[in-house]
Amino acid sequence: MHDGSGLIAVQNLSKQFGSVTAVHNLSFTVSPGSVTGFLGPNGAGKTTTLRMLLGLVKPTSGTATINGRPFHQLGQPGRVVGAVLEAQGFHPARSARNHLRVYASAIGVPDAQADQVIGLVGLGTAADRKVGGFSLGMKQRLALATALLGDPQVLVLDEPANGLDPEGIAWLRTFLQSYARMGRTVLISSHLLAEVEQTVDQVVIISRGQTMFHGPLDRLRQSQQRRVLVQPSDINALASALRAEGVQAIEQLPDGRLAVSGVDSRQVADSALKAGVSIYGIQEEQVDLERLFFQLTSGQYAGQAPAPYQQQQQGGWA
Amino acid sequence: MGNLVQAELRKTTTTGLWWGLLIPTAVLALGWGLATGLLGQFFVDFASSSDVDEVSDFLGVTPDQWKISLFGMARAINISTIFPMIFGAMAISGEINRRTITTTFLTAQSRMHSMLAKMLVYVLWGAIYGLAIMLFLGIGVVLTSESGQLPDAGGWAMLTLVCVLSSILMTMFGVGVGALIPNVAGTIVLLLLYFLVIENVLHLVLAYLEVPAVIGFLPNGSINGLTGSVAVDLFLSSAGVVPTEIEDVLRAIAGAGGALDWWWSGLVFLAWSGIVFAGGWAVTQSKDIT
Ligand SMILES: Nc1ncnc2c1ncn2[C@@H]1O[C@H](COP(=O)(O)OP(=O)(O)OP(=O)(O)O)[C@@H](O)[C@H]1O
Ligand SMILES: [Mg+2]
Repeated sequence: MHDGSGLIAVQNLSKQFGSVTAVHNLSFTVSPGSVTGFLGPNGAGKTTTLRMLLGLVKPTSGTATINGRPFHQLGQPGRVVGAVLEAQGFHPARSARNHLRVYASAIGVPDAQADQVIGLVGLGTAADRKVGGFSLGMKQRLALATALLGDPQVLVLDEPANGLDPEGIAWLRTFLQSYARMGRTVLISSHLLAEVEQTVDQVVIISRGQTMFHGPLDRLRQSQQRRVLVQPSDINALASALRAEGVQAIEQLPDGRLAVSGVDSRQVADSALKAGVSIYGIQEEQVDLERLFFQLTSGQYAGQAPAPYQQQQQGGWA
Repeated sequence: MGNLVQAELRKTTTTGLWWGLLIPTAVLALGWGLATGLLGQFFVDFASSSDVDEVSDFLGVTPDQWKISLFGMARAINISTIFPMIFGAMAISGEINRRTITTTFLTAQSRMHSMLAKMLVYVLWGAIYGLAIMLFLGIGVVLTSESGQLPDAGGWAMLTLVCVLSSILMTMFGVGVGALIPNVAGTIVLLLLYFLVIENVLHLVLAYLEVPAVIGFLPNGSINGLTGSVAVDLFLSSAGVVPTEIEDVLRAIAGAGGALDWWWSGLVFLAWSGIVFAGGWAVTQSKDIT
C-alpha cells in the first residue's frame, strides 16, 4: 500500500512516441502543503508527464510515483488522487449528476458526495442537464467535480483554467490554495505563467521535455535582476561614477542608453547628480516573469537559459 | 469489484443506447416471428396439397403437425442477437471514442478490474436482450402459427434457454471485439460484415469442399449451431424416423449445417469469445491513453 505522504516523485522520466521525444529524462518532486505549477509551452510534454504519473501512459523509462507507489499500486486510486486531464471525457447524453454518480460508485463513495461536489463547483442548477450541451467552462468545472469525488489527498490538474471565466479562475485560485493549506498536494499545469502566478508557490518549468527550473516562485522572481535604463548627458562620466560606488553591472545599450542592474533609479539619479551629469530620461525595468518564462522555455533564447535542471537543495519549500 | 460493477451498470442505464438497440431488436424478433408463422402456413398448405406426400410418410406425421416454426425461430434468434453483440461491442470502444475511458481507468484498481466489471454487466444485458428476443419472437410466432406447428412447453423452455445463452455469448463476443479494435465504426462494420457476409460465404465454400464439419467450429457456425441444433432436435423428437440425408437438409434449414451438439456449439463459441476477450485485454492493458 502507499505511504500516505502526499508526495509526487518523478524520476528520470522519458517518453518516446515513435520518433517524437515527448518527455526527456524529467525529474522533480511535488510536496504537500503547497500549490505547484507545472509550466511549459505547447508541446513541452506536460500532459504526457501527468498521464504517465496517472498510469495512463506507459513511460519509456524512469518512474513516476504518488505516495511512493506507481499509480496501479495505489489500491483505491480514486481516493488518493483526483485528476482533471481534459474537459472532454464525458458522454454527451449523460447528465452531470449521472456522470458523477457513475464515478461515485466506482470510487465507492455515497451518491450524496456527487451532489456535494456538483454544488461546490457551481453547477448545482445544471446538474440534471446533459453534458453534451455544456460550455467548455462548465465541462471544466464538471471535470474538477469528478476529480474531487473521492476527497483525494493529491490533486493533479492539466490546464484547469482553460475555458473558465474570470470569476471561475478566481474561485479556482482560492479553492486550490485552501486545498493545499489543508496539507494536501496540488499540481497544476499551464502554458501561461501569468495564469497561475497568483496561485502557485512552487514551479516546475519544462521545455522540450526537460526541466528548466524547479523551485519556489519567489526564487524565480529574484533570479531576474532589476535594471535601470538611463539616458545621461555623459555616458562615460555616469558609468565611472557608478563604478566608483561599486556598481559593476553596467551595459551600454545600442540606443545609447545605459542599463544598470542591481540598483534602483534613485541611486542612479543620485550618482548622476554628484557626478554633475544631467539625466534626460530614466526608467526602471519591472520584473517580468512572463519574459523570464519565455526566455527559459524558448529555443531562441537557449543561450541565456540556465543549464538543465540539477537537483536544487536550497529553498525552504520541502 | 462490486463498486465497479455498479458503476458499469450505471453507465449503461444512464444513456439511451440500451433501449435504442432494444427497440430494433424487438421489432426484428417480432417480424421474424410473424413471418415464421406465415411462411410455415404457406409451406404446410403446399405440402398437404400434393406430391410431397412421400416426405410426410418419411417423417411419419402429417404436414400440419410438423413443428416447422422451430426453424424460423432458430434463424430469428441468430439474426436478432446481432444487436446485443453490437451493444457489447460499444462497451469499450464507445468509452475510448467518448474519451470517458480516462476517468474509468483513473477510478479503478486496474484496467483488468474495469474490464471484468464491464464483462459482468454486459452478461446481464445479454440475458435481458435474450429474454426480450424470445418474448417478441414468441408473440409473433404464436400470432401466426397453427398450434400444431408450435413446440410444446419443454420445447419453449429449451428455446428460451438457448436464446438467452446465445444472446449472452454474442454480447460477450462483442465486448471482446470492441476492446480488440478500439474504434466504434470499425468494430461494428467488421462484426456486421463478418456475421452477415464473410462467414456465410465461408460456409458455402466449406460445404462445396465437402468439409462442412469445420463450419461448426467457426464463430458464426458455432453460435448458430447452439440454437439450430436445439431446433432440429426438437423437430426430430416429434417427427418419427428421419433418414440422415433429410436430417442434414433440416440442419441446413435451421442454420446449423455442420454444427455440433448444441452445448458443444455453445462451448466452442464461448472459447471464441474468450480468445477475443484475451486479445482485447492485451491491447487495452498496454494501450497509451493520450
Ligand atoms: N499519442 C501521441 N502520439 C504521438 N505524439 C504524441 C502523442 N501525445 C503527445 N505527443 C507529442 O508529445 C509532445 C508533448 O505533448 P504534450 O501533449 O505532453 O504537450 P503539452 O505540454 O501538454 O502541450 P499543451 O500545452 O499544448 O497541452 C508533443 O510533441 C506531442 O506532439
Ligand atoms: Mg497538454
